[in-house]
Amino acid sequence: MEQGTSRLKRKQARGQFLMALPLILFTVLFIVGPIVYMVVLSFLTRGETWGVVPEFTLKNYGDITQPVYLQTFGQSLRLAVISTLLVIALGYPFGYFMAKLGPKWKKRTMLLLMIPFWTSSLIRLYGWIIIFRAGGVLDTVLQGLHITEEPLKLLYTYPAVVVGMIYALLPFMIFAVYSSAEKLDFSLVEAARDLGASPMKAFLTVSLKLTLPGLLSGVVLTFVPSMGLFFIADILGGNKVVLVGNVIQEQLMKAHNWPFAAALSVVLLVLTTVIIWLYRKLSGVKDLEGIV
Amino acid sequence: MKRILAAALAALLLVSSFAGCSGGKAENGELVLYTWEGMFPQEVLDAFTEETGIEVTYSNFDTDETMLAKLEAAKGGDYDLVIADDYIIETAIQEGLVQELDTSKLENYGSINPVYQGQFFDPENKYTVPYGAGVQTIVYDPSLVDIEIKGYADLWDESLKDNVGVIDSYRVIDGMALKVLGESYNTEDTATIEAAGDKLLELAPNIRLIKDNNTQDDLLSGEVGAAVLYTSMVTLAKMTNPDLKVVFPEEGIGFGVMAQFIPSDAPNAENAYKFIDYILQPEVSAQCFEYLGYYCTNKDAEQYISEEYRDFLTLPEGIDMENMEMIENISAEAVEVHNRVYTEFKSACGQ
Repeated sequence: MEQGTSRLKRKQARGQFLMALPLILFTVLFIVGPIVYMVVLSFLTRGETWGVVPEFTLKNYGDITQPVYLQTFGQSLRLAVISTLLVIALGYPFGYFMAKLGPKWKKRTMLLLMIPFWTSSLIRLYGWIIIFRAGGVLDTVLQGLHITEEPLKLLYTYPAVVVGMIYALLPFMIFAVYSSAEKLDFSLVEAARDLGASPMKAFLTVSLKLTLPGLLSGVVLTFVPSMGLFFIADILGGNKVVLVGNVIQEQLMKAHNWPFAAALSVVLLVLTTVIIWLYRKLSGVKDLEGIV
Repeated sequence: MKRILAAALAALLLVSSFAGCSGGKAENGELVLYTWEGMFPQEVLDAFTEETGIEVTYSNFDTDETMLAKLEAAKGGDYDLVIADDYIIETAIQEGLVQELDTSKLENYGSINPVYQGQFFDPENKYTVPYGAGVQTIVYDPSLVDIEIKGYADLWDESLKDNVGVIDSYRVIDGMALKVLGESYNTEDTATIEAAGDKLLELAPNIRLIKDNNTQDDLLSGEVGAAVLYTSMVTLAKMTNPDLKVVFPEEGIGFGVMAQFIPSDAPNAENAYKFIDYILQPEVSAQCFEYLGYYCTNKDAEQYISEEYRDFLTLPEGIDMENMEMIENISAEAVEVHNRVYTEFKSACGQ
């Protein structure tokens, strides 16, 4: 009898293993593999004209400490913080009130949020160029209304990059907050109000607290990608806002210094991991809506 | 990217693609051509097959580096004819992946413009036949710029504040500063490159954008008044707005050459000779360059290039070739300094 159950258990375990096998293979092949490759590459020497020579070196990591490259990390963090804060300011109320809508409008809003994803994000960014450029949509409207007289220089500026970042990341914050706020039982808020809490206090102690996992997963979903979204700085910033992602791309594609690009990527990866770990530590939320 | 006059020739292409369908099968083997997309008009390729019975297999790469990697993997085999950029050809030759040309097999060899020959990547013309060249030029819109621009140094002028666009190439942009300082593009002296970097920081306030794709659009829309552009962009800009001024910098021009070579172990080398020779015929060459939009490297072809394009596709008469210098491969150490000062420059532009 005892033998029978253990055999059954073993059989079950094997079944589970087989079921998980595709996932394990996928993870090893497409996630663990590339990361290992990247880490190994970051300790190798670049070839004289191109390619990589298999000689161990720490030079690539040493090079990162040059002020100009450290600055790009600073610049990336700064842009990520600015974009994330603005995305919270816009996305949190949006997601929160969206959860309060009636079922019909909930669906419609959701659809409107999804539609842009049917086109490539790159194409949508080019749309911003049409809006921002000299003699573009915004410029024409502002001049038509006599708010400005001279053509504005909106494109290829820092604010243009920030707008692009917010535009690209906002939906993720909205969805994260929405999924949290939808589960929120509003009778709890009403109870707090009945017991004499001011609207503000009820919000802070009940609503905010209960939607915190959503908010924090939204932060992770916006902050982490914003460290790497180099093409927004490229397209809307005219390449003048230099982020880590831009340097990595340039080292790979133009300078042909793959080991240095790998070293930068490893540092970026470590940095992001530390930031996520800090989030979890500080917020005390273990389950960020199942993301991390 | 290389398909420059594509718009103008789209109709022709359409017609020729139908014509291509009726073509018979190849009797005399094939030619595997390896280059960027859109380097030849389809009707030229079809006519070649018609005349010689050699079927052309067009295989394309995105970057020179991909080409070299594939060629290394194939040990100089698989491909019969490659067209790539000068600097990578130098590396390919050093690696022994290129075979020497027997120019006696090329009847039209004499029609090559010697200006583009004997350059660093093939000083004795043993391996390559040039096919198109690009010259970095300054283009500006006189209605948006208060000064007359004659050379790179003028881009530093204060009146151009936030009004200049440049291509995103560290060697070209750092090179501009090197030229202003009277140095060579190819110096390997790190102190000199650092000095060029400092000089570039002074240019930063004038830079409005740094980009590699469709930079001419920003000049045409008035986003910038002046720009440093690649030849293909200059051609497109001039075709849209003939009032733009094209300046060959007085500090001396530099150009990049694309060239054809036969890999060391090409399966159909004879067919490659036939193709090179076919393309070297002046009339065919003219047709190719009108399509390609790069400087014509065939001097006998110049007379066949239509009036409309001749200005953009041939160097002006009396241009100072004394100070001409090409961008060549330099030491890894120098490249690293270049990259660092260039990143500093880009960051400074955003301040």
